[in-house]
Amino acid sequence: MAAVTQAPYRVPVETRGRSRTRVVDRKPRPHEVVQLWITRLVLWVACAAVLLPLLFIVSASFTAGDAFFSGSLIPRPFTLSNYAKVLTETKYLTWLKNTVIVALITGTIQVINTSLSAYAFARLRFRLRRVGLIGLLLLQMFPTFLNLPALYLLFLKLDLIDSLVGIGLIMVTGNAFNIWVMKGFIDGLPIELDEAAKVDGATDFQVFTRIILPLSAPMLAVQFLWAVVGVFNEYLLSSVLIQSPDKMIMGPGLQNFIVNQFSAHWTQFAAAAVLTSVPLVALWLYLQRYIVSGLAGALKG
Amino acid sequence: MNVLPSAGVSRPPVRSRRPWWQGAVPYLYLSPALLTIALMQVFPVGYTIYVAFTNYNLNNFANPRFIGLENFREIITGRLLREMAPAFGWTITFAVLGTLLAFSVGLVLAVLLSNPFLREGAIYRGILILPWALPGTVAILAWSGLLNDGYGQINGLLTRLFGPEAAVPWLTNPTMAKVSVLLVNTWLGFPFMMSLCLGALQSIPPELYEAAEIDGASSWKQFWHITLPILTSFSLPLLISTFSYNFNNFGAVFLLTGGGPPVPGRTYAGATDLLISVAYKLTQQYFQWGLGAATSIILFFIVGTLSLLQFKLSGTFREVR
Repeated sequence: MAAVTQAPYRVPVETRGRSRTRVVDRKPRPHEVVQLWITRLVLWVACAAVLLPLLFIVSASFTAGDAFFSGSLIPRPFTLSNYAKVLTETKYLTWLKNTVIVALITGTIQVINTSLSAYAFARLRFRLRRVGLIGLLLLQMFPTFLNLPALYLLFLKLDLIDSLVGIGLIMVTGNAFNIWVMKGFIDGLPIELDEAAKVDGATDFQVFTRIILPLSAPMLAVQFLWAVVGVFNEYLLSSVLIQSPDKMIMGPGLQNFIVNQFSAHWTQFAAAAVLTSVPLVALWLYLQRYIVSGLAGALKG
Repeated sequence: MNVLPSAGVSRPPVRSRRPWWQGAVPYLYLSPALLTIALMQVFPVGYTIYVAFTNYNLNNFANPRFIGLENFREIITGRLLREMAPAFGWTITFAVLGTLLAFSVGLVLAVLLSNPFLREGAIYRGILILPWALPGTVAILAWSGLLNDGYGQINGLLTRLFGPEAAVPWLTNPTMAKVSVLLVNTWLGFPFMMSLCLGALQSIPPELYEAAEIDGASSWKQFWHITLPILTSFSLPLLISTFSYNFNNFGAVFLLTGGGPPVPGRTYAGATDLLISVAYKLTQQYFQWGLGAATSIILFFIVGTLSLLQFKLSGTFREVR
């Protein structure tokens, strides 16, 4: 225990932009040592509760389809056949292709839509600016999925059922929440940069493309990620508006494995889930810093 | 800029040298977002309102009739009340408990992680954040398999540890299905709350704790009298928006239980069906578009009221600059 108490313990504390440090440069008193170990115990239990289900899925993905699940974490017999089957015998790759196409188009258009609007709201002055900002907030109260019955009937009439274009149209729609987050981010960029550029004769649009966009790169990446993950998570609308297996995107597609209540499908689902999640989780963790700070900024208004 | 009359100095009004069309430029920046919003959001909302006042369903698909408030009457006082009332009750329960559970777990873990003597906290934080990073739809579908009675590994583990009686009917018993929905929702939702609480904890001035320590307050008392009040006031608008999100958290329920298990005597609403998943089933499985749209509008009024409350509490309208 003595070894744990040697160094001073520093907890960085951020207050109103200035960084302060809460220094605890003393040995923990006996009751604090007890507290520390109780803290550790609770955190270990919490970590186990997070990791165990993930390990179960990974383990199932490497287990032969007819194996009996005993709650063991080691896949016996070990096999890669689930991954092979998912890739060759199911429509997984079709769903992945559909999802990635819709996701990339959605992400690109969303980023353009959001950054243009956010720039206008943050830096330009115009008559309907306040009305527009509040209007966006109010619009957010009527989420798209509430329109499902109407969208279904409309898509039926427009012949957009079973079409990725239809789903794409819904997904690229300007997103009020994203615009607010992005506006908050641009508000935080120093306006002096804009002014300096304008003194040098830059137009508003040049300020946008040469100053605001490069400085917003991390936030743009977050917005792109949100749009992509949004397509991977989409189920409610696409399960109604898309019906043939060849046009499905990931959510309704993966559900096909689960609906058939056989353990053989479960191991294949696990493989598909791992294949789908790993790249998205990696991307998320890479951008984590900006996601957390962006949300915190949005919450402050 | 107006020149105040009391200023005494008469300044000539600044004449704009910009051409007339310059005023339209900001709207050009907004046009892509506004166009898509008008096409895919505003117009469908209008159509939803129209459909809600008709008897649009599979039987009269070709010529739906305007029936006034009949759909709303049916939902609020009529034949559907038997289904909607329990679904409404469960929607409220789920939204309240789901939000509070995720928040309390996140809050407790954030406080534990900020123990100044805990040097390996970053490792725990990295693990605990994982459920947030997962694509939610995939994660919930995975949970529906893990909790499956037949092949689910959770029951596999329980029976291995405690014998065959330890198996739990996670998704087939109505009460346990509700517990499962809340458990999975907490598992997915606490990391977000934990991150925000960690941020908020850092903004509490350390002097408060130092002063409390000098006064001899135990860390338990410091938690109840400093940490909790500050975090709660910081998080209140957030809690309301999470509540209204959970109110319509279709995926958390439908992908896990499909709204089931079924309840005898009820057609549309199973034991864990939220109002939004009832609206979904009315559209997807029963082709009752009029009733579905009317349910959507009722949901809009509930969530809209909540959002207005949240904007008021967080002062969003005042701060729009």
